[in-house]
Amino acid sequence: MASQTTIPPFTLAGFRAGLAASLVLAPGVALYGLAFGVMASARGLTGPEAVLFSAWLNAGGAQMATLAVWTDPLPWAAIGLTTVAMNARYLLLGAALRPWFGPLPAAQAYPSLFVLGDGNWALALREHAAGRTDAAFLAGSGTALWLSWTAATALGHLGGQVIGDPQRFGIDFMLPAFFATMALAFFRRAGGIAPLIAGIGVAVIVDRLVPGPWYILSGALAGSLAGALRRADPA
Amino acid sequence: MPIRPEILAAIGFLGILSYGCRAAGFFLMRYVAITPRVEAWLRAMPIALIGAIVGPAAAKGGPPEWLGLAAAVGLMRATGNDFIAVAGAVGLVAGTRALGF
Repeated sequence: MASQTTIPPFTLAGFRAGLAASLVLAPGVALYGLAFGVMASARGLTGPEAVLFSAWLNAGGAQMATLAVWTDPLPWAAIGLTTVAMNARYLLLGAALRPWFGPLPAAQAYPSLFVLGDGNWALALREHAAGRTDAAFLAGSGTALWLSWTAATALGHLGGQVIGDPQRFGIDFMLPAFFATMALAFFRRAGGIAPLIAGIGVAVIVDRLVPGPWYILSGALAGSLAGALRRADPA
Repeated sequence: MPIRPEILAAIGFLGILSYGCRAAGFFLMRYVAITPRVEAWLRAMPIALIGAIVGPAAAKGGPPEWLGLAAAVGLMRATGNDFIAVAGAVGLVAGTRALGF
């Protein structure tokens, strides 16, 4: 399908370049990892569970959003749909990699996608635009951020155990506070205020009418559809 | 307690969904193109989801939570630093609660 079938290089040097380039992003990722560890502890997850969660999902926004609907017994449908809703943006990131990664062997392309995130995706595309086409850059930068995220989760969970009661120090407010700061970054990409307003409005109403965590998905669906509808021009 | 079986199953399930989102966009682009409307829909999803989590929480909260959210957004805009924004907001919430609001 692709007009150009040149197979990009996939080398150790490219992997190393990715590792080095992502060091600027690692502290920010670590901060979110710490916070996730603290919140996972407050939700009653054990240390090994919290670390496995981060190592296996490697998805900060989705993990935090899932904690917001995490109750006992586990609402399986709600946590699954929440994870998909938060990670749906990866469909776009992955699609944008098609022209570059498409000619690669599947054994190189698909494992690389495991560590695909917002930050290293942007770094990798900038690298590609600069003419450096080594595709291992994505895996290298993603691996550094994955390590940072997982290790910080372990530390955060330890800290959460020390703090104890989440009401102390306002720890229960960390989740909303993080979402409020993340909102600013996502807001710029959403194209206008309609998705945010619709999301808040529908969620507040559904929360009053329907028991359980369904208000979150109702709001996400309504808000994202508002974003889709606002785009009237088909071009 | 190490890892409970139910939690292990939940994490396994959510991880498969997460990787599915990462791989599916790349895989599907071989066969179909993402239309601008679908792209706008996917782009708007995170902010809508965040609004849906934070909105009702704010509606149920009181002055400490409202102040905290305003502080988080304000500090993030002013400093561009997540740590300062979150620490400031959480500290403000803890402080106003301690004052009995």
